[in-house]
Amino acid sequence: MSSLAKQIDTPVEENKVLDMYKDLQRRKKVILKNRLVLWAIIAALVTWAWTGTNFSIAIIYTGTANMAAFIFTDLLPPDFSAFGRYLQPALQTVYMSLVGMVISVIFSIFFGFMAAKNTSFHPVIAFTSRAIIAFLRAIPALIWGITLVVAFGLGPLAGTLALGLSGIGILGKAFADVLEEIDQGQVDAVKATGASWFQTMGQGVWPQFKTGFVAWSLYKMDLNIREAAVLGLIGAGGIGYTLQGNINLFQYQQASVGILMIFALILIVEYTTAKIRERLL
Amino acid sequence: MRPYIDKKNKMTKQIYVGLFIIFFIFSLLQVGILDERIFQAFSRVENLLKGMVPPTISEPIDVAGAAVESLQVAVMGTLWGVVFSIVLAMFAAKNVSPHISISYAVKAFAAFVRAVPALIWALLFIVAIGLGPTPGILALAVNSIGMLMKVYAEAIEEIDTGIIDALKATGASQFQVVMQGIIPSIMSIFISWSIFRFDINIRYAAVLGVVGAGGIGWELVRASRVMAYDEVLGITLVIFGMILLAELVTRFLKDRADMATLKAME
Repeated sequence: MSSLAKQIDTPVEENKVLDMYKDLQRRKKVILKNRLVLWAIIAALVTWAWTGTNFSIAIIYTGTANMAAFIFTDLLPPDFSAFGRYLQPALQTVYMSLVGMVISVIFSIFFGFMAAKNTSFHPVIAFTSRAIIAFLRAIPALIWGITLVVAFGLGPLAGTLALGLSGIGILGKAFADVLEEIDQGQVDAVKATGASWFQTMGQGVWPQFKTGFVAWSLYKMDLNIREAAVLGLIGAGGIGYTLQGNINLFQYQQASVGILMIFALILIVEYTTAKIRERLL
Repeated sequence: MRPYIDKKNKMTKQIYVGLFIIFFIFSLLQVGILDERIFQAFSRVENLLKGMVPPTISEPIDVAGAAVESLQVAVMGTLWGVVFSIVLAMFAAKNVSPHISISYAVKAFAAFVRAVPALIWALLFIVAIGLGPTPGILALAVNSIGMLMKVYAEAIEEIDTGIIDALKATGASQFQVVMQGIIPSIMSIFISWSIFRFDINIRYAAVLGVVGAGGIGWELVRASRVMAYDEVLGITLVIFGMILLAELVTRFLKDRADMATLKAME
């Protein structure tokens, strides 16, 4: 681009302008061709998915209409007498999210430090940690929940451990990436004073790591409350279990109280984490 | 005065930390993590792992079909989410919205839709329109709209007003302003967020089956109900492979697009 501007500034002969025009045409062609290929791939994907799922475009209209009818005739008005029954599971959801977050933070600090190239003891350990983190991240929390319910039985314990495990995948990667981006000069300076490993970590690494650590941990709390709200659907504790019970029994007006409480829970937790973030950073 | 304030601040901090620790311990007790089950965890996990190896899939054709269905649900959910988000974002962005109240109304709608998890939407859509992949597609689309509309609207609000003014000065209609001015400006943000959302939707599509909205999640629940641990692991590995494959494809497409731009720029 800058070379173009330079050429325009200096007087040019006519054939040079023609050459530039041809060059522009060639570049445009390259982009156009690639765009065509990309759109063709996307169109093929969409056609494949469309026919595979037997999706009819009319369902967008009928689906919206049915949904609106369902919301206004069955869900509304909410039956607030069910509030008492939702309170205990809602609190349980908060407890699960919090404990899940603390578990994942503790393990992620360990795995994060091992996975970051500059703080790890050995490249092989770094690679193994990255692989473990990637595996934990690739499997959704709900799937961990299903497996853990099989192992630990129904109840909040399985859900909490599922949140913790999938959290290591997210936070481990985030912590490792933050650690890899810190300024090595500060760490070296602390080391040069003859500091021990712990002193180096505390004085050289931690001050630079703190911001990312706090932000990501709180973000995980926001995620957890969403995940915990649905973990109940598989019997892993929390508000989702009561909600599904109500839906299965066609008690939609009570179910809408559950949905509103999930909504409120998410808003409250996000507000609180935002306040804490403001205070700590 | 200074030491007094310092002392007070320190004390406030200690109180907060103390409260947090008390709340955390209370939560630990409530969650039942110090249950006798955790002390049996070792033998339970050992049992589980023994039952899991070697992973098997008793009905490979069914599982493969379910995995394909999950991928298709994710593609369709993302497609409709993106399409509706673009249209709604035009009404939500303050600088192109016909009226400021419409902008607020659409944004409030997005905030509500976003806060209700995708799986709950799937539950509701199943009640409203029946079982199968369609409620899954609609649930993903609705949940995607909540997130994508917000980021698209923010991208539109941040574009250079000079571009829009210049187009308007040439006498362009509202539609022409959108097509020639707004869409090219937000293209890169639009692409990266849509791809990001597709990655999220793949994960959701894998678990939608849990509530009966089609796909591989149902196979997993079925296997776990009959305590077929080896099949649980087999299907989990299929899900893992499915998510990995989808991410590889999207990364390949994105790299290709970037490469083409670089090639044309050189």
